[in-house]
Amino acid sequence: MTIKTDVIIIGGGSTGCGIARDLALRGIPHYLVERGDFASGATGACHGLLHSGGRYVVKDREAARECITENAILRRIARKCVEPTGGLFIRLPGDSKRYRDEFLASCDEAGIETAILSPTKALDLVPTLNPTLEEAISVPDCSIDPFRLCMLNAYTSRHRGGGILTHHEVVEVIQEKGRCVGVKARERLTSQVKEIRGRVLINATGAWGDRVARLGGVSVPMSLSKGSLIITNHRLTNMVINRLRPPSDGDIIVPNEAVCLAGTTSIPVSNPNNLEIDPAEVDIVATQAEQMIPVFGTTRLIRAYTGVRPLLRVSARDARSISRGFKVIDHANGMFSVLGGKLTTYRLMAEKTVDAVMAHFGLKAACRTAELALEGQDELSGYPLSKRLSTMDDIVCECELVARRTVEHAINTMGTQYVGDIQHRTRLGMGPCQGGFCTYRALGIMQEIGRVSPDASITILKEFLQRRFKGIRPALWGDQLREEQLIESIYLGILNMGVRHE
Amino acid sequence: MNDSLHDVVVIGGGMSGLTAAIHLAGKGLRTALVSRGDPVCSLSTGCIDVLDIGKRPLEAMGELPEGHPYRLVGRKGIEDALKMFRDLMAEGPSPYVGTTRRNREILTPIGTFKTTCLVPRTMEASQGCRDEHLHVISFHGIRDFYPSYITSRLPNTSFSIYDAGASSTLAIATRFEEEGFVDDFCTWLSGLEIPPGRVAVPAVLGLRNPVSLMNAISARIGRDVFEIPTLPPSIPGLRLFRALKAAFQNRGGDVFWGNAISSVETRGDMVEAVTLAASGRPSRVQGRVFILATGSFVSGGLFATRDAVKEIVFGLPVDIPGPRNDWFWNDFFTTGHPIEGSGIEVDSCFRPVMSGLKNLFVCGSILARSEIMKYRCGHGMALATGLKAAKMCERMLL
Repeated sequence: MTIKTDVIIIGGGSTGCGIARDLALRGIPHYLVERGDFASGATGACHGLLHSGGRYVVKDREAARECITENAILRRIARKCVEPTGGLFIRLPGDSKRYRDEFLASCDEAGIETAILSPTKALDLVPTLNPTLEEAISVPDCSIDPFRLCMLNAYTSRHRGGGILTHHEVVEVIQEKGRCVGVKARERLTSQVKEIRGRVLINATGAWGDRVARLGGVSVPMSLSKGSLIITNHRLTNMVINRLRPPSDGDIIVPNEAVCLAGTTSIPVSNPNNLEIDPAEVDIVATQAEQMIPVFGTTRLIRAYTGVRPLLRVSARDARSISRGFKVIDHANGMFSVLGGKLTTYRLMAEKTVDAVMAHFGLKAACRTAELALEGQDELSGYPLSKRLSTMDDIVCECELVARRTVEHAINTMGTQYVGDIQHRTRLGMGPCQGGFCTYRALGIMQEIGRVSPDASITILKEFLQRRFKGIRPALWGDQLREEQLIESIYLGILNMGVRHE
Repeated sequence: MNDSLHDVVVIGGGMSGLTAAIHLAGKGLRTALVSRGDPVCSLSTGCIDVLDIGKRPLEAMGELPEGHPYRLVGRKGIEDALKMFRDLMAEGPSPYVGTTRRNREILTPIGTFKTTCLVPRTMEASQGCRDEHLHVISFHGIRDFYPSYITSRLPNTSFSIYDAGASSTLAIATRFEEEGFVDDFCTWLSGLEIPPGRVAVPAVLGLRNPVSLMNAISARIGRDVFEIPTLPPSIPGLRLFRALKAAFQNRGGDVFWGNAISSVETRGDMVEAVTLAASGRPSRVQGRVFILATGSFVSGGLFATRDAVKEIVFGLPVDIPGPRNDWFWNDFFTTGHPIEGSGIEVDSCFRPVMSGLKNLFVCGSILARSEIMKYRCGHGMALATGLKAAKMCERMLL
């Protein structure tokens, strides 16, 4: 099977999806290939923080300026993905006052609006804060849903003739006369290979950037840094909480729907695949978060997760001091790579990349992604509780109140064979039991609808349980350990899926 | 404050606590059973796993590591406990079958076979179901049972779906106890064209009289019928728990249900009383001896913090397998995660070591080194150690 298009985008993270939308709005035929579901790399493994720029403002004024500009744009165009929570930088006893002064001056220069709040005022806004705080500075940080953001960017592409293949891994870049002219992509479950031919390839694969570049006979300079985060079972704050100090481990807490995300660590890695989370990382993040919000220490953690920051390589030793800026490289062989950057600036990265491609084609359509609101926001309105409570009679996921018909609808409209796809789109399995009860059910429903063979569903169930455990294991104590032992007794006991350790 | 005085106070209303309490009440001792709520055994398959090593569970005891609770009980003690259990269940509507001489296999909802030892009569025909055609019945919209998991894995199987007008196992079980339901069900079942062989249903044949329901269906269609245990909530687990609780109450035991223990009173090396945090009206339960049967993590007898494990009632020292990173294997499917071995270490009289308490006995899955998932010895171990701890109490009191 061969597909022909103009631009092939490799990578379905925020950058890849943003490029697809940008190309669609400029009328360029394109095809996006992603090896997992949307946002399965760093996009889906970050805080979901729409930065004000405060985080970078002291070290990297330019990155901070980009952040605040994009922050304002996204709040305008992506209302359904962005929760305008506002953010606080809190200064605890012992935190440097000089840094605080520098922070305020830098924010002024970068155009980041700030207000200084007394401890009383800060505690009014976020009562769970450490009451010994010295002061807080408010900034326009927001919470953003990276998965929904990708879906909405892809929506525009889909509705304007773009093609999207998820669960397809690029296994080969087709080269002719020294130029990249297409890719071969393999479907993960069926191993069926599709050939896609185009005039330009865009490598938007984040941490996998160098690996994909090498398939095209080139390489890109990158530093990979692993960042691990944890999810609490409760929403402990309605605002983004940052520590007012030079960026360090575990100093950001972001509310998201009913939970909070706290992180991160920063550990250099060489391979973006098969990442492990060390329980010590969880301890670091939990301890730091507890300093900002004391009740964090006794709050149940649902799991940990980790992603890899794709940073531009420079000589600096500490990954945190490497620029969070980005770069578009024309490899002059038909491949472009877009490197570095972060979720907040994904739209700008897409714009600059598409600008380069347009220049290459000698075309002149201007970028419109900043002025037009994301399409499809009404349809993809998310999972309001009112909607979920209206179908209580047939719940298959008790944690997130997902009804059987919602699952069936997702299976039927997507035609998917992947249980993860259903989970991302319905929130099935996202609650405290982490799919321990409902994944078995979702797969049973998929069998009944005829989407997966029962044989395949057992394999999928096993893979899911192993992946789930990998995220849960490093943060396993308290009530989550209790729940885990119950889940274990179901799968290894009642269903006898285990193998004895000798 | 309510105040009451008993000979024995059993803390924990699960399998081991109930077993101990039944034995002691049966001996005429004033026995109190204190439980925070319905136990984990009501989530279980209802089957009594004894030991999943080889075919003959009792003969494999020697392969267990030193210090395993079974080794402290001894073979005779295990046999006594299982006999006591079978006799007890024969009193009620859900008798058990099987023998400790031989393990048996039952079909799981995912089409695998699970080794166990004693099973409710309603699962008797599960053994050997591979040798004949098997027709599985499911129910429309049922949440926790998908027959194609079974039919895809086992040859010579088929399934049909009945609309019971309910989707949870508990609701369907209730329907089975309604007048006329079984009749309609049997009429439908008789109309199906099924090859000769057995018929299996998920375990929903009512809570009160499963065996008579099963026999009625079996007689109407002229085939062996059996139940397949389902995911929690589990009807056979509930039947098991209710039968044991009834047996205790029939022997004159006092039940204190639904409240956590808020404080413990000790004097010197003796426990004197526990206080239950009933809202508005706390109860103080005094006893001459105490049995701790609060279970492991799922039951809430043990609670893990980031780097330690606590015993929640007395704060007894807990044996753990090392730092948190060592608690679990990386592979989910490898049973016997090291954390399973954590618990309370006891002496040969089932008293906690290093606690200094002389009238406290411990039984059930809270015991150290029980490794229940690894050896598949959950309910068997609960019965054996429950009876053993009860006998130790008896010896102290009489």
